[in-house]
Amino acid sequence: MGNPLGGGVGSAGRWALARAVWCRGPSGVGQPGVGSLGGGGNFMATQALITGNGDQPRTLVVVFLRGAADGLALVPPLDDEHYHRARPRLAISRQEAVRLDGRFGLHPRLQPLAAAWEEGALAIVQACGTEDQTRSHFEAQDLMEHGGVVAGGWLGRFLRARPAPASGALACVAVGKALPECLLGAPAVTVMQSLEEFAIGGKTPAFRTQLEHLYAMERGQLGVAARDTFDALVRIDAMRATTYVAANGASYGRDEFSTGLSQIARLIKAGVGLEAASIDLPGWDSHFAQQGLIDSLAGRLATGLAAFRHDLGARMATTTVVVMTEFGRTVEENSAFGTDHGRGSAMMVLGGGVLGGRIHGEWRGLDPAGLEPRGVLDGYGDLPVWNNYRDVLAPVLRRHGADAAVLAAVFPQFALRPFNL
Amino acid sequence: MAASAVGYFSGAEGPLSCTRRQFIVAGAGAVVAAGSGCGQVKEFPTAARRWLGKPTAPPLPAQLTPAVSFGLDEVSHVLSRLTFGARPGDYGRVAALGVPAFIEQQLAPGELADGLCERVIRHECDSLADPTSRWWRRRGEGSDPLAEIFPALRENGTRIGDVYEYKEKVLLEQLTRATLLRAVLSERQLFEVMVQFWSDHFNIDPSKAECKWLKVVDDRDVIRAHALGNFRDLLRASALSPAMLWYLDGRVNRVARPGEKPNENYARELLELHTLGVQGGYTQQDVMAVARCLTGWTVRDRKRFLKGRVEFQARQHDDGPKRVLGVDIPAGGGARDLERVLDLAVEHPSTAKHLAEKLCRRFIADAPPAAAVAVVAAAFTASRGDIPSTLRALFAAPEFLDPAVRGEKFKRPFHFVVSALRATNAETDASRQLVDYLVRLGHAPFRFTTPDGYPEEAVHWQNTLLWRWNFAAALADNRINGTRIDPERLSEKVGGDDALMATLLGRRPTVVEHLAYYESGAGLALLVASPAFQRC
Repeated sequence: MGNPLGGGVGSAGRWALARAVWCRGPSGVGQPGVGSLGGGGNFMATQALITGNGDQPRTLVVVFLRGAADGLALVPPLDDEHYHRARPRLAISRQEAVRLDGRFGLHPRLQPLAAAWEEGALAIVQACGTEDQTRSHFEAQDLMEHGGVVAGGWLGRFLRARPAPASGALACVAVGKALPECLLGAPAVTVMQSLEEFAIGGKTPAFRTQLEHLYAMERGQLGVAARDTFDALVRIDAMRATTYVAANGASYGRDEFSTGLSQIARLIKAGVGLEAASIDLPGWDSHFAQQGLIDSLAGRLATGLAAFRHDLGARMATTTVVVMTEFGRTVEENSAFGTDHGRGSAMMVLGGGVLGGRIHGEWRGLDPAGLEPRGVLDGYGDLPVWNNYRDVLAPVLRRHGADAAVLAAVFPQFALRPFNL
Repeated sequence: MAASAVGYFSGAEGPLSCTRRQFIVAGAGAVVAAGSGCGQVKEFPTAARRWLGKPTAPPLPAQLTPAVSFGLDEVSHVLSRLTFGARPGDYGRVAALGVPAFIEQQLAPGELADGLCERVIRHECDSLADPTSRWWRRRGEGSDPLAEIFPALRENGTRIGDVYEYKEKVLLEQLTRATLLRAVLSERQLFEVMVQFWSDHFNIDPSKAECKWLKVVDDRDVIRAHALGNFRDLLRASALSPAMLWYLDGRVNRVARPGEKPNENYARELLELHTLGVQGGYTQQDVMAVARCLTGWTVRDRKRFLKGRVEFQARQHDDGPKRVLGVDIPAGGGARDLERVLDLAVEHPSTAKHLAEKLCRRFIADAPPAAAVAVVAAAFTASRGDIPSTLRALFAAPEFLDPAVRGEKFKRPFHFVVSALRATNAETDASRQLVDYLVRLGHAPFRFTTPDGYPEEAVHWQNTLLWRWNFAAALADNRINGTRIDPERLSEKVGGDDALMATLLGRRPTVVEHLAYYESGAGLALLVASPAFQRC
């Protein structure tokens, strides 16, 4: 069914329509794929830079925990006897965990997130994942980021399919070295490791001046595009000239993840029109001696997210952070003090008006009878995917402007049953 | 051309002597130069040259005659439209040869020797497949054991299933690199331009499912095999391309049980994008009828023996009567229904017009002149879809040579980057850092999601200026890993600053450009970043 994007529009003029949406703005200028700073001959883009998030007040931040994070370590079912039986050496004990509710706790290193939970700003869904059985990191990440067996990424489709598509030159930013799959097909993405990259690299002021002279001679769209680009450079220069100080005493870590989040916070606060950002926290493939590994990663995750939340303060009402991973890990620990590739894991949604302080979705406990068989091995099966990740993302996207038609385009070939979160 | 195009991959005759790594070079779309095939893999000279750090860019010709007119003359115009940008020396060469003869040369790429390009590609992309490999390791390699055990894996001399032995990321990277290297180095420039044109026209996003592997086969057996061949052959190859069958769901288009609904996805794009065009006058009934005609064509998936093989499942074919574009297709046609549908689509007048419009948009102007479109469409029809004949008519149209259209097309980012590399005689291995610039510019090969392909018009690309400027600066300062230019030697060789400016711009610089060149303190970077260099 449908085109490779999968859904939604069915008339013969779909591509023409998509194009029209794609190159919107008064001058009809858009930017496909990965992009550029610079306004693109697009007055709107400059407007977005100047007026900030006035028209698009919401920012969605997607944190991907690459390598399959162990949801049963991050959000342990503390009172489930099977949990402690399956993981005699690795289970998070009731004493060390941060108690969430009658069933679950938080990993001790996620303690910095406890405040968000108590204030109702953090929602969690256990046993999340894709419907696909694959236990390959690559395949599972792809499937999840694409939103099924479709071309392009779910976030990219969202940014393109919305009634008011992302338009600013800085509307969408991927923090890192490469474009994540979830952003494939987005109208404009800037891949950046730091704000320092927004410059004409390695050139003297004379170069820029002469370039401005040449482009000043240009009439028509190219001239407009050039002027917008120079304007944007000036704005970013100004932002760069000041040292960033996080607000509300927020204290970011010194690791890459925290640094990336602080860059995102800075862009949000500068009002450059940021609507979506993606950032990875890799390294969760804990086959071996997982305790140290997860302690460290969970610490970085919680420190970064808590600082981000404090830093943004009231702006967290319009900023949603989604934390996801490709699949979970085995219920049972292995002989190497680790866990292997499993199925269901946990997802978190922070801020943005989420119904927090609650564990959403289905949870049936770790009774072996209810688990997913793991082939020939005896013992515990895998934690099933009781909650499809799309049903967690759907209500978030709704709050960011997606209606039913957009959701159908973002997640084609899937009957959504969005959670009320 | 069509005949020699088929020969490209029959260059891989005697597949038993072909190793898998050699196959993958071919799989990366390697147009094996005439006379070179898997038998000639002893590459001591090239490998040794690279090993010793010898250049892999073509040597600068002894005589470099840059353009002397103030506007773009016919030679500069034809060079900038038919190629991915002129190299130093190209102007003088084409001026001496004459524009008509140059066009004819480019329309018959099989006759153009392309040794350097193919050697570099075989080397660069092959070593990428196995970073530990060096030329000396190839000597001991035998034939491919898999092919010996399963001769059936060889399909018409090639073995589609073999691509599954490679990591998909490696395949995409090699395909991207080979595409870039050919655009930069190949003498068959118009062929490469048309490869890009058809890659957009029949766009496949390799990120979808098994297209990760199969796009490589599509590039070789569909796009490159027919880029300057016959459109009917190209369309048929595309319709039966395993990657296309995955990408647009043709593989699950079947009527296995009575009442089962066919999958219309490919049928719709076949009419809307590949042939008649969205305003081409077909109806929803036509889409459904075409889908029914194509039911049963499927491709084996990677979990099965003979994976990647395209086959017709008669039991899943809807063999009832259909009516397509006003023509009755009687019941019982079976696999022949496909041929009927392709004939009807190719012969429909809307198809000639649609393709003529797209070609004129690519080669003449974003708003293609109606007169040129009519002439090109007529040539397409008269030649029964012969692509060189169609292009010959386009290049002869007065609208193509009109001075008013010269230098007025905005280069797409790929064109911009490649033309900069060519103009500066850069040596490049087309590795990660170079591709990263294309990613940031939104125009890396094989990264477009939807079946309509990267758009052509300037309006889609004008907000890529900052990264164009950054690329210009990085190229001029030799800050791109794997890519190197020698500005002093280039300037000396062409005969000073004025000649260098004329070489890059295809004409004499304006007073403002002249001044800015010196005042900027970085003349070469400024030229590449300048408005004129963004256009062709």
